[in-house]
Amino acid sequence: MTTDVFESAVPPSVAPPRSRRLSKRFGEAAAGYALVAAPAAVLFGLILSPAVLAVIDTFTIVTPAGRTFGLDRYAAFFADGYSRANFIYTLNQTILATSATLVVSFAIAVFLRFGSGRVARTVQALALFPLFVPAIVAAYALTRFLGPNGLFQILLEQVGIRGFVSPYLTPVGPFIGFVWEAIPLPVLILTAGFAQVSSHAVEAARDLGAGPLRILHEILIPQAKRSLLVAFSLCFLGIFGSFTIPYALGPAAPEMMGVFMQRTYGQLLKPDEAQVQAVICFMACAVVGFLYVRLVATSKG
Amino acid sequence: MIKLRPIDIYGWVIGTALFLFLIGPIVTVLIWAFAEQWRYPNLLPTQWGFRYWQVMWARADVYESLITSLTIAFATTTLSAFICWPAAYAFARLEFPGRQPLFMAFLAAQAFPKFALFVAIAVVFFRVDLIGTIEGVILVQLVNTLLFMIWIPTSALRAVPPALEEAAFDLGASRLRVFFEVTLPQAAPALAAAYILSFVGVLFEYDAALLIGAPYVKTTPILMLTLSAQIVVQYAAVLCVMLWVPAFGLLLLSRRLMSARTIAAGLGA
Repeated sequence: MTTDVFESAVPPSVAPPRSRRLSKRFGEAAAGYALVAAPAAVLFGLILSPAVLAVIDTFTIVTPAGRTFGLDRYAAFFADGYSRANFIYTLNQTILATSATLVVSFAIAVFLRFGSGRVARTVQALALFPLFVPAIVAAYALTRFLGPNGLFQILLEQVGIRGFVSPYLTPVGPFIGFVWEAIPLPVLILTAGFAQVSSHAVEAARDLGAGPLRILHEILIPQAKRSLLVAFSLCFLGIFGSFTIPYALGPAAPEMMGVFMQRTYGQLLKPDEAQVQAVICFMACAVVGFLYVRLVATSKG
Repeated sequence: MIKLRPIDIYGWVIGTALFLFLIGPIVTVLIWAFAEQWRYPNLLPTQWGFRYWQVMWARADVYESLITSLTIAFATTTLSAFICWPAAYAFARLEFPGRQPLFMAFLAAQAFPKFALFVAIAVVFFRVDLIGTIEGVILVQLVNTLLFMIWIPTSALRAVPPALEEAAFDLGASRLRVFFEVTLPQAAPALAAAYILSFVGVLFEYDAALLIGAPYVKTTPILMLTLSAQIVVQYAAVLCVMLWVPAFGLLLLSRRLMSARTIAAGLGA
């Protein structure tokens, strides 16, 4: 789809004389710029410039001779074992939780593609439910459900299972929270992707004797590749840039970068160091962020 | 006898697991909010009641945080609608060089690791004395609403058939009149849905509100997480239910106005 999606929105009209057409087009462009100016200013002032400023600030060092380029602040971050551990822990959590979310969402989306009736409607409603639950509510609810002596443990003991160890305040806690909160979006995206897979192709493959796994591997996954990548990038960015869930459910150490940055900025009152941590997050997510924008831009542009 | 296909069994397994995993935590909070006494290992509270609701209603900090949260959510979303909706009209209906790249540029709001971006903003706000102010929190929340409030209205406005507008033009209506009497009513449900989604999103936003608002701006989610550290479980549970149940209703309403698919489209998916 390389044609301009806006084209169809402009009514084709009988061409007026050239000069009038030009001035009309000029007026329309001016009106367009005037209308988009305010949100563009917000985008520039509150998103792009703070990010660029953080990059410039953190690569600048102050010497007696003046300000010059230097990597000292980054060297300090990576020289510190605890900072390094937090960074690696964040990457691990993000990759693990993103993978788990995609696997679970994939399983749900496959069912929604082929299932039907009341079960399918119920599963869809359930899978979309977290969309209606803000992260703060989810995080709090999970502490009460999965925490020590929580309802989940009580339920297990009712059926005779003992020895439950609560994931609360361990790395498993935020992992569960991430998957909980992240399920709906990939389900939506993948369901839309699978809807484009023709039933004829699946039936033809089945008639030729292909099993469910083969159909999955050779028809569904290739067809839904773009959807999978969009879902992957949104999950990855969401989890890497999270704060509430690891803050409420995670261990005191190691910390996810969000929690670490908040503490550095808000409690240790070291905005300079927090800025370095933020730019390191930007860099860790740059490839995925770029992938996301590219995927969306190429499909809609 | 009804024959169960493998796909149905698969569906039942998924459905049961999802029910336990996704609904279980919320049910726990609902029970806690109406429990006056619930000691491990009882499956259900030994005493039910509204006592903690009365306690919470009487607390000044609860009342103040609700006022703060509602003010921020209302101000942010209205400001966002004021600046984003006209832009959505321009993206949907006007022709100007650089329109497409600019439209895509708003994806940037979603392409950053969010909390790192908030930290970068917080550093700037610190230099201009916006930390700990309501204005600061409103500005940072604006960032959270930007993509939704531009992309959803743009696609809604684009979906209004140009033929309808042309017909009105042909009858001699002015551009403004066509907009208010033809275009706007058609796009109104999606605009309302975008407004509700943004409003609820800001109302429950915790990360940016804490980072930018601390220590003076105390929203209800911030109060809730502070209370959750206390021994009395019911305080936070009551506050959670009090805030979430109306919000859940609003979100369901927005879902009626707009398909879940459109919500995903608002993120470019």
